[in-house]
Amino acid sequence: MARFFASPGAGRVLTSPHVIAGGLIVAAVFLCALFAPWLAPHDPEDQNLIVRLLPPAWMAGGDPAYLFGTDGLGRCVLSRLLYGARVASYVAIVASFGAMLLGGVLAHIAGYFGGRTDWLIGRMVDVLMSFPPVILSLILITALGVGVNKVALAIVLVDWTRFYRVLRSEVLTVVQRDYVAAARLLGYSSSQIIWREVLPATTPLLITLLSLEMGIAVVVETILSFIGLSVEANVSAWGVMIADARNYVHQTAWNLVLPILAVFLTVLGFNLLGDGLRRTLDPRLALRVGR
Amino acid sequence: MALLEARALTVSLDLAGQSIQVLRKVNFALAEGRVLGIVGESGAGKSMIARTIAQMLPRGFRVSGGSLDFDGESLVGISNARRRDLLGAEIAFVPQEPLTALNPVLTIGQQFGEHLARLGLARALCGARAIELLDAVHLRSPATLLSQYPHQLSGGMCQRVLIAMAFAGQPKLVVADEPTTALDVIVQARIMRIMLEMTKRHRTAVIFITHDLRLATHVCDDIMVLYAGVPVEIGPAKQVFGAPRHPYTRCLQLTTPSLSAARRELIALPDRMPDLAEFGRITGCRFAPRCPLRQPRCDAEEPPLVEVAPGHRSACLFPERTGTFIQEPPIVTGLAAASASDRDAILRIEGLSKKFRRQRRFWRRAHDDVVAVHDVSFELYPREFVGIVGESGSGKTTIGRLSVGLDEPTAGRIMLAGRDVTDVHNAKSRAHRVATIQMIFQDPQSALNPRRRVVRIVTQAMEAGDRHAPWSERTARAQDLLAEIGMPSDAAERYPAQLSGGQRQRVNIARALCSVPKLLVADEIVSGLDVSVQAQLLNLLLRLKRERQIAVLFISHDLSVVRYLCDRVLVLYRGAVVESGPTEAVFAQPRHDYTKALLAAVPPDDLTQRWAALAASGQDAGLAL
Repeated sequence: MARFFASPGAGRVLTSPHVIAGGLIVAAVFLCALFAPWLAPHDPEDQNLIVRLLPPAWMAGGDPAYLFGTDGLGRCVLSRLLYGARVASYVAIVASFGAMLLGGVLAHIAGYFGGRTDWLIGRMVDVLMSFPPVILSLILITALGVGVNKVALAIVLVDWTRFYRVLRSEVLTVVQRDYVAAARLLGYSSSQIIWREVLPATTPLLITLLSLEMGIAVVVETILSFIGLSVEANVSAWGVMIADARNYVHQTAWNLVLPILAVFLTVLGFNLLGDGLRRTLDPRLALRVGR
Repeated sequence: MALLEARALTVSLDLAGQSIQVLRKVNFALAEGRVLGIVGESGAGKSMIARTIAQMLPRGFRVSGGSLDFDGESLVGISNARRRDLLGAEIAFVPQEPLTALNPVLTIGQQFGEHLARLGLARALCGARAIELLDAVHLRSPATLLSQYPHQLSGGMCQRVLIAMAFAGQPKLVVADEPTTALDVIVQARIMRIMLEMTKRHRTAVIFITHDLRLATHVCDDIMVLYAGVPVEIGPAKQVFGAPRHPYTRCLQLTTPSLSAARRELIALPDRMPDLAEFGRITGCRFAPRCPLRQPRCDAEEPPLVEVAPGHRSACLFPERTGTFIQEPPIVTGLAAASASDRDAILRIEGLSKKFRRQRRFWRRAHDDVVAVHDVSFELYPREFVGIVGESGSGKTTIGRLSVGLDEPTAGRIMLAGRDVTDVHNAKSRAHRVATIQMIFQDPQSALNPRRRVVRIVTQAMEAGDRHAPWSERTARAQDLLAEIGMPSDAAERYPAQLSGGQRQRVNIARALCSVPKLLVADEIVSGLDVSVQAQLLNLLLRLKRERQIAVLFISHDLSVVRYLCDRVLVLYRGAVVESGPTEAVFAQPRHDYTKALLAAVPPDDLTQRWAALAASGQDAGLAL
């Protein structure tokens, strides 16, 4: 990683408007998640039935103590959103790093050694990819029970193949270069070649995929918590908030709009970041990534 | 009247608010049936002239002065519709890369028919006309060719198809931009012959763009030498080559090794041609910074193109001095053939063969293996340079890769400094190889990791395996190596992308030298470089031979380079050695037909000598190439 940031052209990354905008959004979400206990004006699970279904503070009838209003059980929407960001960020980071590690390691091994190793891992991926992903994650959650860690695990098991496929083809092209042959002639071991010659060349793609995968993980987590297969009942998550707000959509649409907006902004941030990184780091791969 | 006439043609590029003259005051007049050669190294602006004729300048470039008239009509600012009418019909192009110029998913017949239909021929007649035209470029069985796809043809055949297409509309002007650079020498001679034949038949005017001054002299009537966007010399071909009046032209001659004359040291011009961004900073003559005859006046005033003999003009303030400098560079010494008998071979290859297995299809059971190398044996002694020559696909590169252990031989034995290293998987023989043999790769772009600084590239050997040299030791070693290959010490902190092609190739050599090998395998290491940079590298290798006692297996398609550098030569044809021996003896008296054909395909240095390959007509007798 340090080697990558020392390479020429890495400075360009910080001048891309995509990267700046995406980076700011993502940083804001992570900060909200990190400091939620200090930022939140109320306990997110604290029910105050006297002030049910309040509109946001700037609307008629709003209460300045509840900036984004309250939901059907009188819980503070702002506080729930802030705590929801914790779940979203946690899943985004754990799931995408897990998928990257699993897919990346296998991609480098398969791409570098080729032959039988490549064949074996490739067929394994084929089998895994022929399962419908939704069914696979439903089976996993049903078998393992709910909880953010299980959601992250489900995402890792479904999405590592994306990293594997894209990275393996990149490794194959890097291994063809003469500098890899030169390193072999100088007596580098296979692990040294992968670590020092191949990995620095695939790192830009790795970072880009990672950023895009985080956006995907946020969406998947929202879907699973929406259908009640993600977090425990006493935890605030954006999907849970959307599910709850459906019942009151005619009284106050804000309850529905705000968590959707949160998901939207977060995913936009990750995608802008990923897109910007892709353009600045590796323009050849414009069409290969994405869901 | 001239068919194509350029008067003070100037093309500019607006770069960072500054206008840079990429082509400056180009003057020439080309009459019907004449061939004008435009000669220069890469970056000289040769292709820019072709693009200006086609009025397809890259974004940001524009004609900022002068005129370019074709048949009495100005090409500058021509309407798109009129340009489309002209191109392909009146003005035709022959491209540099024949394989990429044809559409891979259409048959030759479809592409040819399309082109003929565009020229206004009735569809029904296209087939017959195409066969006629392909026959004119001496392609065998043109009828079957029409149903084939470009990948089924060789590069030379594709180029002939493209030449047939270019001449299909009986154009008045053909622009050939390095038409033979991507092809083997034997094919090059034939392509040139066919082009000249077509030109004579149709009285076509031709602009022939090349980096090869010697080739241009044999092919062209007139030659224009370009340097950094400025025409420095223009005149009748024989005169420009025979009695050059500009120091750059003379240097081009002296940096190209000869195939027949005594082996003289090459003049290595310092540095390289300035790039676009540097053009603006040069006030006087653009060649002055590298010119061996530089005078204070050269930096101050821009030399005008003046007539030095009838029809022969030179842009030098002192044209008469050109002939005086470095008449005869010293003859290369220290090349005495190593006495092989009393020493042990450093590399001994016995009965080496390599087959590549074609992708097996499940419905086809027969093994149709490709034999890349067949039963090759040779020895290489310390301090000896051995050249391997042959055309592309003859197995040269495979021999190099087998020698260093990047590929595994199918049969045969490889002995390296007295030890058997045939088994590429054996850890002991791998370690032995690392200490004894290294490789310099063909493409320095791909051979250097773009994410490492030069200091970390050249000392890579010191971090390989279980070696962990301290950083201070590595930087010190890097400085030694940079000094040895003639690069400034501050280059250590640069990335490969910040180096020129020649510098990258030097770094490539330095990395191989770091582990102090006894033998280097150099695979086409100068083929992508300009002649002046090539000369610098060849002299560097000779110096390493003298100072380091190093042996080199030099793989090349360029016979004159091999003659300059190597003590012995192996001629490879279809994976087998057909002739070998001391370089001088083999080149002076070739015994095998293939060697003879190879030598005949190189344009001779002596202008009084006719280039036999150009004169031969019809199908080539003898070898089926």
